[in-house]
Amino acid sequence: MLALIYFIILGVIAVGAALCVLLSRHPLYGALSLILSMVSLAGIYGLVGSPFLGVVQVMVYAGAIMMLVTFVIMVLNGARDKRTPMFDGVSLFVIPAVIVLAGLVGFALVRAPLAFDSATLPGSVKLTSETLFDMAATGPGYFLLFEIIGVLLLSAMVAAIFLAKKHLGSVVAENREETH
Amino acid sequence: MELQPMYIQILALVIFAIGLTVAIARRNLFFVLMGVELALNAVNLSFVGFAKTLPAEASVVGQIVPLFSIAVAAAEACVGFAMVIMIFRNKESVDADSYSDMKG
Repeated sequence: MLALIYFIILGVIAVGAALCVLLSRHPLYGALSLILSMVSLAGIYGLVGSPFLGVVQVMVYAGAIMMLVTFVIMVLNGARDKRTPMFDGVSLFVIPAVIVLAGLVGFALVRAPLAFDSATLPGSVKLTSETLFDMAATGPGYFLLFEIIGVLLLSAMVAAIFLAKKHLGSVVAENREETH
Repeated sequence: MELQPMYIQILALVIFAIGLTVAIARRNLFFVLMGVELALNAVNLSFVGFAKTLPAEASVVGQIVPLFSIAVAAAEACVGFAMVIMIFRNKESVDADSYSDMKG
């Protein structure tokens, strides 16, 4: 009963913040609402028994990714463009289509038999790390995926630096351009 | 009345629908990327909700896969916002329709 009350409170906050993202005019207000939505989702993760995932959600999503988002919005001063409308004519067709899609998926979902398994394991740090770094030959092999994710993040970082750089070239060449 | 796994799935569905609407209907490019993030969040919540309905060994997968999903979302946000910076420098606009230069 208490879990349901907490779930309803956190869920209402998450959905309300998501609606604020949809309806806010300034991108920075949208980003702050998104952070609120992510933090309440982290609370739901902790509530249903994945506290490690909740902590990762707060640190990586609400911390790192949204820091990047707000930083880019403030650097580019995205509110400077006042001519861009919030919605256009296409939005009138998008919103009913999304509502119909959600109705269909929800209809299929409500009919599915779902129940909590009492034998399920809580996602503690110990369990998660032991499964993630299980290097036995018969194990699940998640550590290989972990290594590949590291390479992916490195390549994404290099790609971002190359894309956002003003001129491709050496530092010396750029300095020479600035002095002329 | 207890917490049912269905409620978690319904909440994930609502947040996913809102994120999809933000990503498709909004004109501002920042909101498009934020809508994608919102939809990814809803999928993670759905993973965690379904993991709690599985028996012991299988439920660990539901704790691991969202970690990779979060890492991929970080890479996506990194490259996406770098592209926004690059194009904003040329166009001076955040309207998604003004970025339609790649025509055959």
